[in-house]
Amino acid sequence: MSTAIQFEHVSRRFVLHHHRARSFQELVIRMLQGQGNGRREVFWALSDVSFEVKKGEMVALVGANGAGKSTVLKLISRIIDPTSGRIIVNGRVGALLELGTGFHPDLTGRENIYLNGAILGLRRDEITRRLDDIIAFAEMERFIDVPVKHYSSGMYVRLGFSVAVHVEPEILLVDEVLAVGDAAFQRRCLERIDQMRANGTTIVFVSHDLNAVRRLCQRAIWLEKGCIVADGSPEAVVGEYATQSYAASAALAARRELCRHGTGEVTIEEVRFLDGEGRLRDFFSTGESFTIEMRYRAHKVIERPVFGIAIHRSDGVHVTGPNTQFAQYEIPMVRGEGVVRYTVPFLPLLEGTYYVSVSSHDRDSICMYDYHDRLYPFCVLSGAEERYGLVTLRGVWSWKEE
Amino acid sequence: MTLIERKGSQTIIVADAELSVTQKPLHVARAVFSYLGELWCYRELLLTLVMRDLKVRYRNSVLGILWSLGNPLLMMAVFTIVFTVMTPSNIEKFPIFVLCGLLPWNFFSASVIGSIRSVVDNAPLIRKVYFPREVLPLSVVLSNLVNFLIALTVLFAFILAFQMPITLWAFLLPVVIIVQVIFTCGVALILATVNVFYRDTQVIMEVAMLAWFFLTPIFYPIDILPRSYHLGDLTIDVWRWMYMLNPMASLIATYRVILYGNGFGGAPPALDFFGRTTVTALGVFILGMLIFFRYKRLFGEEV
Repeated sequence: MSTAIQFEHVSRRFVLHHHRARSFQELVIRMLQGQGNGRREVFWALSDVSFEVKKGEMVALVGANGAGKSTVLKLISRIIDPTSGRIIVNGRVGALLELGTGFHPDLTGRENIYLNGAILGLRRDEITRRLDDIIAFAEMERFIDVPVKHYSSGMYVRLGFSVAVHVEPEILLVDEVLAVGDAAFQRRCLERIDQMRANGTTIVFVSHDLNAVRRLCQRAIWLEKGCIVADGSPEAVVGEYATQSYAASAALAARRELCRHGTGEVTIEEVRFLDGEGRLRDFFSTGESFTIEMRYRAHKVIERPVFGIAIHRSDGVHVTGPNTQFAQYEIPMVRGEGVVRYTVPFLPLLEGTYYVSVSSHDRDSICMYDYHDRLYPFCVLSGAEERYGLVTLRGVWSWKEE
Repeated sequence: MTLIERKGSQTIIVADAELSVTQKPLHVARAVFSYLGELWCYRELLLTLVMRDLKVRYRNSVLGILWSLGNPLLMMAVFTIVFTVMTPSNIEKFPIFVLCGLLPWNFFSASVIGSIRSVVDNAPLIRKVYFPREVLPLSVVLSNLVNFLIALTVLFAFILAFQMPITLWAFLLPVVIIVQVIFTCGVALILATVNVFYRDTQVIMEVAMLAWFFLTPIFYPIDILPRSYHLGDLTIDVWRWMYMLNPMASLIATYRVILYGNGFGGAPPALDFFGRTTVTALGVFILGMLIFFRYKRLFGEEV
């Protein structure tokens, strides 16, 4: 049995009752008013999905909200049943969904460990055996006999995570929970997940953090409107998914005219990102060649215009703001259409999502012809060894014993 | 109905649409069998939930366990004052007479009211973790059973204090209690399911339980009701209908016969009468299990 999870032509239909009576009172009123039981709408959360996960694999599910990722997890953990198809699950399923669900506020931490363990399917003696490990991992030695209603939310989450991972499931479902707790605890959670993977636990991981997907998983499945779009190595799938979703969001953003202002003598018509071979891309790796290309149209003859860009990280940090004037690159005159390119041979940015603003203005920076504020996102996936911070300075280490 | 089969650590989930008509009966049988096995696997959870209920109940009040004794005692005192001082009813050893009905009724009523909310109150858990949902209402019934057993000691203390003999018929008590537990579980499963879909069930049931309380001979003997009632040409046998339509009436009558008799010690119950009650209780229980089983797969989306 090398298969951990197998989906065979699985579909799941949800019936949305728009005005279904939720109480007898409503029901009676409806009947008196002669209305039916509301309009029904059928919605397929998954349609004809087949895939197989091998034992010990770590698989990521990516896709937009509502693509069916959570439905897959709920089907694996048997919270909902399939409408058609067959699902085979080999091994005990554990879920890191919402940590600490099922804790009773009036019981102590210790009692809640037993309660939560039993809900996750453990026998009392199995919990007793793991009790010390659970308490130690959650760092709760001092508070373990205090009712959990007195816990801070961080303590709550720590204890919940600790119980969930010490249940030692053969299949672990992780749904976007790692965004909780402090940074140190988050790191330990990831380490623990990594350790479980090394010990042969099969892991299904749902995350919008594409870099985490690339870093942690061996395989990614991209779901879109309940169907599998791509299934393969995280590099390929995440790349494809990122391109598609950023293109969609860029198109959306471009329509936001609010982010655009200027007098309009020189308008920027199109902004594109190119790689070293001149191919259109929206995601890059650190260290790659990166080019921003803007296509402009001058509505009258303008002498010595200045073109500039700005790059902001998604959290608002202004990374850089070069323009042709700073670079002492003079464009004598523009009329009609043309192209301006800004090329970085070695992209020093580390992983993250960045937004590009573009502008065209006169040489005294008095008249702004056109300005697009952070309309063009691109994504950097880690390619270099460096991981922490914003940029790689490409510094050189040296060492000498004295 | 989705088929779920478990072989060791393997779980196979087959949607209903995948089964042909000829396969269905066999699959249903297999599904029921593996479902019973699963319930057995989760017996620890049931026990843990019962312990949780009891711990929470007794931890939050200073008087702790005394409350489960105090409440029926206070009610008994009220009924005794009303029916021996204010409207004398000539019932021998009235406190014991009332306790014999009140304690089983409190057990039933607290279980039903508690279990109606049990599924909805645990919505976050149901949306996140799989476990047989039956354990939620069943644990409420069982923790109230523990409470009832504790309260029964008060009744025995009163019997001794009134120097009433405890006859051998008292040994039938466990049987009666088991029948009541079966009946209560059935009602609890049905109402917990209904409440998931219609949330005012709990409000309606609070009123209904009060009516049910008055319609059950708890603080009055059935003798005060007319034997028959004439409705035009129709003669209605009131006692018979009371016992047939209200299993709680016949259960409480049985408790009273074996513990209280007519105030002079327990007497033999009418076995055919009790047998019918047992069949009714089993019928309600099986109905409850079927209804819960049929609808519980929708709980994940409805709660």
